[in-house]
Amino acid sequence: MTQSNGRRRVVVTGQGVVTPLGTGVEKFWTGLKSGSCGIREVESFETDELYITIAGEVPDFDPRERELSKQLLMADKYSQYAGCAAREAVLQAGLETPISDEDAFRTACIIGSGVGGLTTLEFSYKMLFKENKRATHPLTLLKAIGSSASAHVSIEYGIKGPTFGVVSACSTATHSIGVVYQMIKSGLVDTGIAGAAEASLNWGATRAWQAMRVLSPDGLFPFSKTRNGTVLAEGSGILVLEEYEKAKARGAPILAELMGFGMTADAADMVNPSIEGAATAMKIALDEAELAPSDIDYVNAHGTATAVNDVNETRAIKHVFGNAANNLSISSTKSMHGHTLGACGGIEAAASIKAIEEKFVPPTIGLAETDPECDLDYTPNQGKARDVNYVMSNSFAFGGLNAVLVFGPNPA
Amino acid sequence: MDEVATKIIEILRKNMKDPSKEVTLETPLSDLEIESLDLAVIVFDIEDTFGIEIPYNANEEVEAFATVGSVVDRVKGIIADSKASGAAA
Repeated sequence: MTQSNGRRRVVVTGQGVVTPLGTGVEKFWTGLKSGSCGIREVESFETDELYITIAGEVPDFDPRERELSKQLLMADKYSQYAGCAAREAVLQAGLETPISDEDAFRTACIIGSGVGGLTTLEFSYKMLFKENKRATHPLTLLKAIGSSASAHVSIEYGIKGPTFGVVSACSTATHSIGVVYQMIKSGLVDTGIAGAAEASLNWGATRAWQAMRVLSPDGLFPFSKTRNGTVLAEGSGILVLEEYEKAKARGAPILAELMGFGMTADAADMVNPSIEGAATAMKIALDEAELAPSDIDYVNAHGTATAVNDVNETRAIKHVFGNAANNLSISSTKSMHGHTLGACGGIEAAASIKAIEEKFVPPTIGLAETDPECDLDYTPNQGKARDVNYVMSNSFAFGGLNAVLVFGPNPA
Repeated sequence: MDEVATKIIEILRKNMKDPSKEVTLETPLSDLEIESLDLAVIVFDIEDTFGIEIPYNANEEVEAFATVGSVVDRVKGIIADSKASGAAA
């Protein structure tokens, strides 16, 4: 296993998060381990005329206390979250920054977002249409663009290789990580920063989500018989990925190996997922990792707590894993950090990597009575110690856009 | 058929794949090939047309959305309630 045989392997050397359970991986992981809930009554905007008044807001994010550059202090919150998570990941990886001239063009920065600076746009439209202001703030456009987070982070660290944002709604971060994985594997780059950020909690966006009738007014209870929808949240999850030999040579901390990535589209419906699309993405990721289904210890599920997702995901897992599904530990950490939309795959990748590192499966909280159609082990209410070596992290998005990552231990 | 029922059937037709299909008060919504997202659009349209709010969550099975007639009854109930509360205010 340790021989690369000419094949380039990809490892994770740093990770950073901003979440409703707190900012920074340690705070986040402590929250997950103890089954804390980051979903609360909304504080950052007025909830007049809304019937959804709960969300997963980041409780401890003051940009001035996060040592962000002046440019990032002027940016939209989604870019600030990305800048903060990237900083944590880069510091942990011990990357020398700015990246040297030699490596700058062989380093990628792929940071996506479901909707970019939506809150900036809402504010500027309010000023124009409601307050009849003469002009919008001059930085409105730059703040709103969905690729600004990746641009800001490339500027912060002098990354001059492939830099752009990937968009696939709730699979955005997972696709971004997968794309950088492919770039390193194919030899295009040796190092990459990958993930996503989302900060779309505002009055107008909540109205838009409310109109779809998929939000829960009570909480996010995945796989539960009484689940009644998802809960919006915000944050960021970002990884530093590196080619294994290079990371080893510079003595980088190797947190995990990124072993496989699968992506598919259902090509069926905007909101009703298919078993085939989800299952095939899982299968591709497993095959690429050269693992059997029975090798996987833990599945960090997409688990949005909508009626359709949780049943479909359960069926897709059974389809891929067969009998091995009964030995899996599964959990939806969204029950604790909420649905951070585009960012969820990055935040859940961090949870997956910590599960390997600490040999611990975080729970699905709020799971008093399981839906009879969801009959696997979702690690209800309390996390548990388990010898976790291989983890699958699922992301499935509106439109039927599926992305799956498989992580394993340090190859050494 | 009364005005509320006529308007609701009109809204349903807009969201049907084959609007020429026969629709009666007894028709189950499932026969109209209306899926969850269509239902959210239909509810929005009904709310807009009648100036009411209909509590509806796509994650829950709702008895009131079983047949065309049950939707009509639900809407009439809400209209009556909103008039009653308006009078009381």
